Amino acid sequence: MTTLTIDEVTVHHGATRLVDAVDLRLEAGVPLTVVGESGSGKSLLAHALMGTLPGELRVAGRMALGGTPYDLATRPGRGLWGSRLAMLPQEPSLALDPTMRVRPQVAEGASVRRPGSRAARRAADRALDGLGLADAAHAWPHQLSGGMAQRVAYAAATVGGVDVLIVDEPSKGLDEAAVDRIADLLTAHLARGGLLLTITHDLRLARRLGGELLVMQGARVVDRGPGRTLLDEPTHDYTRALVAAEPTRWKHEWMATTRDPGASPEPLVSASGVTKGYGATTLFRDLSLEIGTGERWALVGPSGVGKTTLGNALLGLAPVDHGEVRHHPALAPGRAQKLYQDPVLSFPRRVALGSALGDVLRRHGVDRKRPERLMESVGLAPDLLARRPDQLSGGELQRLAVVRAMLLRPALVFADEPTSRLDLLSQERTMDCLMTEVDASGCALVLVTHDHGLAAAVTDRQVTLGAQRGP
Amino acid sequence: MSLAPLLQSDPAPTGGHPAAPGRRTAGRTVRALSAVTLLALVGFALAGPVLLADPAQQDLSRFLEPPTLAEPLGRDDFGRSVLARLAHATRLSLVLAALSVATALLLGTLTGLLAGWRGGWVDAVLRGISEAFVALPALLIVLLFAALAAGGSLWTLYVGLALAQWVEYFRVVRARSARVLATPAVEASRLLRLGPLHVVRRHLLPELRGTLATLASLGMVTAILAMSTLGFVKVGLQPPRTELGLMVTEAFPHYDTAPWMALAPVAVLFLLTVALLGLRRTEVTR
Repeated sequence: MTTLTIDEVTVHHGATRLVDAVDLRLEAGVPLTVVGESGSGKSLLAHALMGTLPGELRVAGRMALGGTPYDLATRPGRGLWGSRLAMLPQEPSLALDPTMRVRPQVAEGASVRRPGSRAARRAADRALDGLGLADAAHAWPHQLSGGMAQRVAYAAATVGGVDVLIVDEPSKGLDEAAVDRIADLLTAHLARGGLLLTITHDLRLARRLGGELLVMQGARVVDRGPGRTLLDEPTHDYTRALVAAEPTRWKHEWMATTRDPGASPEPLVSASGVTKGYGATTLFRDLSLEIGTGERWALVGPSGVGKTTLGNALLGLAPVDHGEVRHHPALAPGRAQKLYQDPVLSFPRRVALGSALGDVLRRHGVDRKRPERLMESVGLAPDLLARRPDQLSGGELQRLAVVRAMLLRPALVFADEPTSRLDLLSQERTMDCLMTEVDASGCALVLVTHDHGLAAAVTDRQVTLGAQRGP
Repeated sequence: MSLAPLLQSDPAPTGGHPAAPGRRTAGRTVRALSAVTLLALVGFALAGPVLLADPAQQDLSRFLEPPTLAEPLGRDDFGRSVLARLAHATRLSLVLAALSVATALLLGTLTGLLAGWRGGWVDAVLRGISEAFVALPALLIVLLFAALAAGGSLWTLYVGLALAQWVEYFRVVRARSARVLATPAVEASRLLRLGPLHVVRRHLLPELRGTLATLASLGMVTAILAMSTLGFVKVGLQPPRTELGLMVTEAFPHYDTAPWMALAPVAVLFLLTVALLGLRRTEVTR
């Protein structure tokens, strides 16, 4: 029976230790899942196995696959790609070649002599058929949804019949249904006797896969054991913090605030009979909605059903095809703010954050003390302002976006999946900081998310989109 | 593979993509050498006309005098100082090229921003005009203008060069700014009511600066070469004005007896071109 063991893996960048002496053992049929926050070194571990780390990083350690020993410093993974070892990369929609159709792309991974041959194409067709993607064989990657791209990447990774599958953050940016589908595929891979190493910060996925669990923090493995025991009765402090960061287990002061539903006579935003579509597809039809002062709404539904479009329409950023969106005079320009899914894109790219924030202060005559106080309350050091957006972590930058949005004392904040790219701990910190501000200022919130747990924890009203649509 | 996503744990992220250090220092050396060469040429063009003799002063007794210490480039067929003429010609080329590039840059950037910002019919009209210019070879546009006004005036040459070049800036600025204006960052700054000046200053200019500088240094080369090409075929500036291309043509009949006459302007053209091209940053910073 095949096993993969790894001893004493370390990864260094200069003098900084990024992965510190990790041992692990993969056995056929038993999934191994590594969890931890961003920057804990879990992705680097996967890349060290694959031999895909950049040259500046120094790798050391031993690996044995089915009894054959390898020295990880020589990056042996490369020789095993496709036949023994494969990786399902992060953000598959970016990992697929945008200039190739799906079938030839999958066929490239087939273990035949020529990737263009009929045998390779047949193998690709079989793989795609098995995943219910036969119709997508001639599609381009940009035509696929996130979940479909994920399954195509899975087909391309496994068409060569690998034993060891390494999966890096498979749930990033996907909705729950798509994560469930990919979890089924991973389970099927195990059932065939494959080896599986999953890197994730999604505890729901970790729970679903079961098997062994490894918890990493600050380059080290701090806790390990059977997944269910670890997640249901965590004993280690860090694991306990990780589990408590799941939205369903949150306990924050702002969650207790009771809001009087009939407090304001007139709604801030009232949409009546709103319809919007792109081309032949209608995203939503005849939708009516009233958002009152201080209300907390969630727009939920799977990816691509028009949650963001609806939010933009409510904010007046996107026109609607039919119907009407009315704003209360209290919602004057500047008093409706938006938080973006990717905070890096919401700041001027080449400008120090301090200058970008300074413009807001000058333009609106905001007191200099206010951003300092806000930054302190969300746990951001003032010297971060000297950096450019790409030099901050996603969580820090999103918290800074919250600070920026709150400077103008908005009456409505539209948060468009503000934490979908963050790990659980950063998500909790960011949402806590957002909601504390929302709670203190009494402004209304519209939250777009596909995480039902998050929607339930943060909001008390919901609009569910796309229930009538197929996959 | 980009290093950035893997190095998230790095306590002080450096940002940007580290290039190979050897290549980076080589690039820096090339740029420094180019800058020194260009500064020397500019110095020559500025100081020469002040310090040296009158370039139009003839002395037929010293006709085709070979180079001496006092007159390092000798004298031409009218006994005029080649060095003094060269200084004047270099100054003319640099000033005229800089003026036309600056005009083209301003015109192209403004129209490009306008087209990218307003879209719709403004964009369609401006794009139509720019495509008409793209369809014609740049030199032909300058030629047309030179032919319109007889006597090879500086003015027509300047307008012709600027008109031939603004299209490049227009197209680049239009494409880039349309992309930048569609980003969430600009949407956010609209929601924050930061005004169009902020968008230009913080979003568009930082994004365009590098590309515009590269385009401008290329544009200087194109303008200088176009000018001397026209001078060479005698449709540009007319004698007795000194112009680099004209100097080459005038020196042609004497290439066997006085080769320095032709070589001097050619060398200046070559050095100007190499120095301006060498100033560009080779790695495009994304």
